[in-house]
Amino acid sequence: MLTIAVPKGALYEDSAACLRNAGIDVPDDVGRKLAVVTSDGTQLLFLRPSDVPAYVEFGAADCGIVGKDVLWETDRTVSELTDLGFGYCRLCVAARRIDRYHEGAPLPTFLRVATKFARSAEAYFAERDLPVELIPLHGSVELSPVVGLADLIVDLVATGNTLREHDMVIVDEIAPSTARFVVNPVRFRTKYDELIGLLSRLDGTVKA
Amino acid sequence: MKLPQGVRDWLPHELARKRNIEQVLRAVFGRWSYEEVQTPTFERFDVIEKGLGNELTELSFQFNDRRATMLALRPELTTPIARLVSTRMREAPLPLRLSYVATAFRYYEQPQEGRMREFTQAGVELIGSPGVDADAETLFMAIEACDEIGMKDATYDINDSRVVDGILDGVGLSGSDVPLAKTMMKERNIVGLRTLDKPVLVEFALRRGGREGIGKARKICKTKDSQAALDRLETLLIRSAALGYGDRVSVDFALLRDLDYYTGFIFEGYLPEIGFPLCGGGRYDSLLPKFGYKVPAVGWSAGVERMLIALERRGKHITRRKHRVDVLVSGADVVASRERAAGNTVRYASSGRNEAALIAEAREHGIPRIVIAEDGEIREVRVTPAPEKKLPKTSTPRKTEAL
Repeated sequence: MLTIAVPKGALYEDSAACLRNAGIDVPDDVGRKLAVVTSDGTQLLFLRPSDVPAYVEFGAADCGIVGKDVLWETDRTVSELTDLGFGYCRLCVAARRIDRYHEGAPLPTFLRVATKFARSAEAYFAERDLPVELIPLHGSVELSPVVGLADLIVDLVATGNTLREHDMVIVDEIAPSTARFVVNPVRFRTKYDELIGLLSRLDGTVKA
Repeated sequence: MKLPQGVRDWLPHELARKRNIEQVLRAVFGRWSYEEVQTPTFERFDVIEKGLGNELTELSFQFNDRRATMLALRPELTTPIARLVSTRMREAPLPLRLSYVATAFRYYEQPQEGRMREFTQAGVELIGSPGVDADAETLFMAIEACDEIGMKDATYDINDSRVVDGILDGVGLSGSDVPLAKTMMKERNIVGLRTLDKPVLVEFALRRGGREGIGKARKICKTKDSQAALDRLETLLIRSAALGYGDRVSVDFALLRDLDYYTGFIFEGYLPEIGFPLCGGGRYDSLLPKFGYKVPAVGWSAGVERMLIALERRGKHITRRKHRVDVLVSGADVVASRERAAGNTVRYASSGRNEAALIAEAREHGIPRIVIAEDGEIREVRVTPAPEKKLPKTSTPRKTEAL
């Protein structure tokens, strides 16, 4: 029987729907439970999205669903078996509209960048030889330019509403992200038939 | 009084378990006629760099001696042994069968269970045998060793890096796409492989099983090398089945290990409930030639701590002997010496203890017998075990006062 790591939060509804389409009996209301065993014996773990790779790498979960944005930020070794297509968003560099960076205004010499995506941001600016001071934050990143903490932010943009509300604009797009089905590399081998079966049912739902 | 990150102490009962595993492995190595060697804990960095790929070189601890010669702690044992063989054992008749049980050091940014900065590797090198017989020898020896340790349900995946080359060539990849595709095969990054637009590649990256997969690969592989490698994989499957390992050995075309190192056969061993490989190895025919000795080599190794973790995880770690000390001796050197000569383990009691105290001491340590010499008389006391048997506590140190 498989143990599947399911992300709570923004990806939860789509993840649950996707697993249901693949024949896993995800209960409608899991309330505040951390884990459930479905009628077919599959164990579901409900985790913070950023914790999914750790559970899968150690084999506490055989497989899981996680946003590509989380995978960018982790060292954890998991195998990405399929792109589930949902949870689309873009990792972007954004700034205040009045700073005009999006129109090519020169960046300050001592550039400060606030982000929840320190690794991706570091790689992006290193590739462009731009010396920046990264300010890793855990939330409300779009507030930081407004109050003068940072000149730029690197953050996920889904609809763009949050940026608009704070009168911010996209300066550059770094990469798009969607939800991925990931597996533990060893568990893929020791539970091969079960995982290949689940993968093909998931792929079927993606194509449909 | 803190330890640096990624290293650990071994308390007596912990070390006993680790030594037990090492002894079992040494015994297996010995039965397959391998002789143990030892190399220095550190080497010149250029030796490590010459032998290893980037992956492991970057993980090595580096330092200088007073003449500014770059040195490195060995991150594994195969390169030091390759150096040893190519400099000191060229006259030795081939094939050479060497084994080791030794510590190795890697600078992991985030050390974790099963990925310590200091750890113990046990393994073998079979040098000078180019054929499939040598590949089979390493695989079957690894299976036998893991079985002996108590992991009879471990399964093994095999592959050959030349088959992967043949598949990549067969689907028409060339140039920089080849190393990219190999890395993605190794990670089994199917999402990445799909971007190369070669559906057959995805099919092989997800394929794992027996001889039917080899048949499919034969249709894709065009090079002589890859066809020969497929023959060898098939031979390994046939020989595995003949030994009763048929359902434990599978071909996984996406199994790749350190890409700069392995030149042919590759294998790994897995347990169902452990998320990392237990052991692994393969063929590295280009390693010894880098040290100027043109001979092929194949080998395998296991992380002793990982094996211990795996055994403890399933509550099957090799248990301690019933009693560690055979006899408690009070006040009689001659008796103690006689007992030791008879092969018994002897513990001296502090002098001046009365019989009750001696019995209490014997019970505390599970010692079945006491010999007491008093006023020129020698008597023996049999100790019945205490009603409640005390198990050794876990290794967690008791809370000490704040530093």
